[in-house]
Amino acid sequence: MNPVLGRIHHRIRLGPAFAIGALLLWPALAAAAGTSWQSDPYQLGEGLYFPQQGLRVGGYADFHYYGLDNYAKSFSVEDLSLFLTKDIGSRWKLFNETEISESLTFTGHDVSTSEAALEVERLYADYFASTGATFRFGKFLTPVGQWNLVHADPLVWTISRPLSTTAAFSRSATGAMIYGTRTFAHDDLDYTLYVDDTQALGFAGDSNSAYGSYGAAGKINPLTNEFEHAAGGQVLYHLHGDRLSLGASFVSYELKDPRQKYRLAGLNFDWMGPHVELSGEGVYRTADRPQIPSEYGGYLQAVVSLPDQLFLVGRYEHYRNSTPNVIDNIWTIGINYRPVPGIVLRMERDDDNHDYSGMPSGWFASIAVLF
Amino acid sequence: MLALPQRRLVVLLAILIGGGGLAGVAESAQPDESQIAVIASNKNSLSTISTNILREIYLKKIFVNSDGRPYIPVNLPATHQLRNTFLSDLLQMDAPQLQVYWDRRYFQGISPPYVLGSQRAVVKFVAMTPGAIGYVQRCHVTPEVHVILLLPLTDSSAAGTLEKCPDATTE
Repeated sequence: MNPVLGRIHHRIRLGPAFAIGALLLWPALAAAAGTSWQSDPYQLGEGLYFPQQGLRVGGYADFHYYGLDNYAKSFSVEDLSLFLTKDIGSRWKLFNETEISESLTFTGHDVSTSEAALEVERLYADYFASTGATFRFGKFLTPVGQWNLVHADPLVWTISRPLSTTAAFSRSATGAMIYGTRTFAHDDLDYTLYVDDTQALGFAGDSNSAYGSYGAAGKINPLTNEFEHAAGGQVLYHLHGDRLSLGASFVSYELKDPRQKYRLAGLNFDWMGPHVELSGEGVYRTADRPQIPSEYGGYLQAVVSLPDQLFLVGRYEHYRNSTPNVIDNIWTIGINYRPVPGIVLRMERDDDNHDYSGMPSGWFASIAVLF
Repeated sequence: MLALPQRRLVVLLAILIGGGGLAGVAESAQPDESQIAVIASNKNSLSTISTNILREIYLKKIFVNSDGRPYIPVNLPATHQLRNTFLSDLLQMDAPQLQVYWDRRYFQGISPPYVLGSQRAVVKFVAMTPGAIGYVQRCHVTPEVHVILLLPLTDSSAAGTLEKCPDATTE
């Protein structure tokens, strides 16, 4: 650790969970800093940095309300996720995300912990090999599309998650990855190549649910997508100062249960205008046995900025499942209120043409904090 | 005051004139307070840098140089006019875009550059830290650091709101 770094007041966004820690740390930082280093204000969303240790602690938490059609209304402490980032020398970095999900579910006067789970979502080491290549070893998010890579509740526009971003592949992989960025005429091309050997390296207790869990309704479809082996890659091209991103993904894999080999290709885009954001993802998956139907689908989402930090969100998704073999058409309309960076209040209505694939219709609401 | 597209055009011209993205550090007829100097420590052998590489460093997409030594980019505070001008010209991203970008990067374990409170603090920090890269008005450059890239301060109205140059007053 460079000793000078110890004298920096790093820009810190302070979450409620770390307020006490920050108050304890701040006098030491201020004393070490002297008058030359001026502090930047605390803000939510960047974690708490301990410069002497090269350690950053952060995370997110969210509280959900499920008013699903045909199910009991419920509240859930949905996610409490903790990030730890540790610099090791100048070329290595460790990252861990550990999550407690659905720790408490309230239905009427009942409180349940039956769906509670503790999981190591990510645990990896990055080695900065050169300007254009970084190696990653461990458990990481599967690079298919963009939603899976940035799925934290405070960072997405809806409480429900599109089926195209989760139903056909494992959310995480365990193995090795190389990634980096190449620049072409002021535009960036991010690339990722990875191999997975979850069979040998996987973490005990991994769930990798193909579909979501909805408070008291639980998992409507309990299908899982645990990799046995996988190899894949992704490219993401950023144009016009990152206003437009175009991505393509490919992965060949074998699932654990039911044991089956698949190939999946995906496309995604994201365009940010002055008051409108458009995004979409699509996937197409085929199995090596012809009797298993292809699974495919995609969504289009629009976000319109309204006055007073309000955002209107609309999404349509068409998805053909293979297990069960049904087609979903899902409409979502919602509103986000983002009073300050790092805090999001949302309410939305989701309507699926049927419920048995894993995406129920109903009202959803949430409060999410990135700290 | 130039509009944002015009400012970007000026920067683009500077890049092109510099040759393939390498805007040199040649002497300029522009007054010192109207130029942004990108600086590195005298302990750092880096003599010039292209705007493309600089952008990647400030977006934390490049972490080490070709010798494997770490880059440590530093920023001025979010409210500092020089930071706003520098970042919008270099990254071609506005504040909401940057907010989204760093939120996403934070979730991926990457944090924005360190923030220092003043141009003087940036010079001091860069001078003492071999891998550090910072930006200041050219008139704030001291012999402890060297300039690796000069950019025009395209928002001319910004100069009036910035800290005074050292020969005019002390910070």
